[in-house]
Amino acid sequence: MATQEATGAPSAGATVPLEVRIGFAHASVQWIADRCGADLLHVKGAALDPTLVPGRGYSDADVLARPAHVRRLLDELPRHGWELINTFVYGSSFEHSATLRHQDFGLLDLHRIYPGTGPTPERAFDTLWSQRTTKVLGGIDCPVPSRDAQAVVLLLHAARGGSDAKAANDVEWLWTSADDAARDRVLDWVGRLDAGLAFSVITGTLDEHRDDPAYDLWRVAARGGTRMEEWRARVRAARGLRAKLTVASRSVLVNVEHLTIVRGRPVSRAEIVAEFFGRPARGLREQVSRLARRSRR
Amino acid sequence: MSAAYRPGPDAGVTVSDDGMSVYVARLPGGPLLVLDGAAALIWAEATTAPATGWVARVAELVGQPEDAITADVRAFVGDLSARELLVPLGGDADPPAGA
Repeated sequence: MATQEATGAPSAGATVPLEVRIGFAHASVQWIADRCGADLLHVKGAALDPTLVPGRGYSDADVLARPAHVRRLLDELPRHGWELINTFVYGSSFEHSATLRHQDFGLLDLHRIYPGTGPTPERAFDTLWSQRTTKVLGGIDCPVPSRDAQAVVLLLHAARGGSDAKAANDVEWLWTSADDAARDRVLDWVGRLDAGLAFSVITGTLDEHRDDPAYDLWRVAARGGTRMEEWRARVRAARGLRAKLTVASRSVLVNVEHLTIVRGRPVSRAEIVAEFFGRPARGLREQVSRLARRSRR
Repeated sequence: MSAAYRPGPDAGVTVSDDGMSVYVARLPGGPLLVLDGAAALIWAEATTAPATGWVARVAELVGQPEDAITADVRAFVGDLSARELLVPLGGDADPPAGA
């Protein structure tokens, strides 16, 4: 009888479409959240209302956890085959998500904040949670933001997408070619989520927010920048001296998790040392070449 | 009127668009099973009401006499039940071998 385990490297005839695996990733984390009393919203990817951006592909599962419940999820997930491969602080400039991997279900991005939303992560989550609806993923009921909130979530994601074609397509569908009524609904959610700064990237008015401490973060995310500019922006956006110093000291540490993924194996002490000295040098090289490009213009 | 079986409480189920593959995951940690062809048909009929005559429906779908497939069907759903991916609901859930 044709029952085949798709665990590990699938054999011919036992292949599982990526979207099916990702659906089960959502189901798995929701099962865990239900048992440990954590509130989760499933965002983007398989959780997205398919009428928002028809045909939009995805390669992992994204979930946003109530900030106070993140710790319990991180404690529970490894007990069920989820391996932490990148922590929040090294995930991105926004330090917003941790990445986990499961042998059967693929990659999961666990967000503790959604970049661009506010005024605090807790209130942003509450705002999205208050209008949630449900979508069945992998056979399990999963809470998702309302359709209009999903549109804003995608636009805020696109705001830090730079020149990415997928981000540009999202903006085209959800903003550029949207009718007035749809735009009004988007703007309503931008207001509710205190997302004016991030959304200004979409409307091309980011430079009107130069005085905002997070302006540089969004400028670098949207338009690109050197590693040094990125870390300077992170320091500027961090609240309070202690947080700024923490970010600054982290900038010269080696991301061992990332290095392990890049190398595909545990890294040696020598490689960590080499990376430690290589990163500042690389940042300097990027900065120098950028300045050189500017002077040639 | 109920089906012969229902998915286990910790089973996640996804059916392909053409209905010819059923993906069943034991949640939350796996494994992930693929039921293809006849196996997918058995899953579908076992979990679809009415329970009475569900094996006969499978036999009709695969073009075989019911008594020729009952033993295999019984072993198959027994395997899925042992994995707690299917739960019998009574009635015609356990067709006698050779019936």
